[in-house]
Amino acid sequence: MNFFSVIGLIVWKDGLSELRSRENISSMFFFALLTIFIFNFSLPLDQRVAQTLAPGLIWIAFSFTGVIGLGRSFLAERDNDCLEALLNAPVPKGALYLGKLLGNFLFMLTAEVLLFPLFILFFNLEVNANPGLLLLVFILGTLGLAALGTLFSAMMVQVRAREVMFPILMLPLAVPVLIAAVQATAGILQGSPWAQYGSWISLLAVFDLIFIVIAFWTFEFILEG
Amino acid sequence: MDLLQKWRNAIGMTAWGVLAAGLYLSLVWAPADYYQGEVARIMNLHVPLAKVSLLAYFVAFVASLLYIWKRGALADNLAHASVATGIVFTLAAILTGAIWGKPTWNVWWTWDARLVSFAVLLLLMAGYLMLRSFVEERERAARYAAVLAIIGFIDLPIIHLSVTWWRTLHQPASFSAKGLSIAPDMLAAILVMTVGMVLLYVYLTLLYCRKLALAAQLAAKSEQRLREARL
Repeated sequence: MNFFSVIGLIVWKDGLSELRSRENISSMFFFALLTIFIFNFSLPLDQRVAQTLAPGLIWIAFSFTGVIGLGRSFLAERDNDCLEALLNAPVPKGALYLGKLLGNFLFMLTAEVLLFPLFILFFNLEVNANPGLLLLVFILGTLGLAALGTLFSAMMVQVRAREVMFPILMLPLAVPVLIAAVQATAGILQGSPWAQYGSWISLLAVFDLIFIVIAFWTFEFILEG
Repeated sequence: MDLLQKWRNAIGMTAWGVLAAGLYLSLVWAPADYYQGEVARIMNLHVPLAKVSLLAYFVAFVASLLYIWKRGALADNLAHASVATGIVFTLAAILTGAIWGKPTWNVWWTWDARLVSFAVLLLLMAGYLMLRSFVEERERAARYAAVLAIIGFIDLPIIHLSVTWWRTLHQPASFSAKGLSIAPDMLAAILVMTVGMVLLYVYLTLLYCRKLALAAQLAAKSEQRLREARL
């Protein structure tokens, strides 16, 4: 089977099961919404403070969303021995990875796009930012988190205490993505000129590329046996 | 490896001897730093600890690559032992750094590139050891841990760079390509300490390798006994 049609089929399968169950996106969405509420109770968020803290809070909520959603991505495959079937299928392992990555990325991004307006609403943010650029940063940042998360999620199927181990392994490695995403988001939200945050966006793209390449290469060593 | 194991105790004894000499040189023989005073002496402990932490992770990375490639139990044990030893050096490096940082920078901790890199290194090593203990099957644990070590090794410089671009106030490295910005007496003391630390690391890693090999032997033997008892 063609490499790209394998990717397409996996995304389609995951998308279909998500459309039917709505488990992933809704759990990510409500969990992140909960973190927004907790920020409100625990931080003194008047409008000025909220404006400066927003980029960080947004990415904390998004990375927690990722931890919730990505961590379970391969667990669903374990039911009905779906994982066995995937592994025995005569398709390249790399295509499996890219398919799962793309699915996870789309679920996370959907949850984030739903969340962002609520962020503005609850924190009374004044946003005169370029929505296209903001979406670009969300896309790139989410891709980086999903690249690492999908890889470790495959590992977690066979690991005890996976709810703890997944964030412990994934989040420290995602530090570069988080720094770049927060800096770029801050620049865009403040309406700074492109020169002040443009390099963070290109860096984010480079980080994504590096993480996807490493994960693509190491994925087959996780799935064998 | 066998030869090294045979000389293990000799290496250990030498390590303690060299470290004792290094401490004498650092604390008594070398003059106090012109700018930082007596406080700078802890650098003679801190810098070797930090270098050995990186060495330990580098060894674990190479051994992990070797394991992914050849699948030998020896490479896996070496990677495991190197991380188990390295985490102690990393923790000690961070603690000595904090003790030096308080009088020098007036803070125990700051989010500088090298500090963040070392904090992530510590988390990585802890995650590595936890991952190994949370995977039941030996071969699988080895494979997962190797993948983690490799990704972490590639990620560390990226983390370092991204934090550097974000903010940095660390003093520039003293051993730079442009020449040494350190007095020869202090350099001698710090080099002796580094040699001692490396020897200590080698000794502890060999010891841990031996322990892992023995534990594997024991597990294999008890499994065999169980099988015999069942028959």
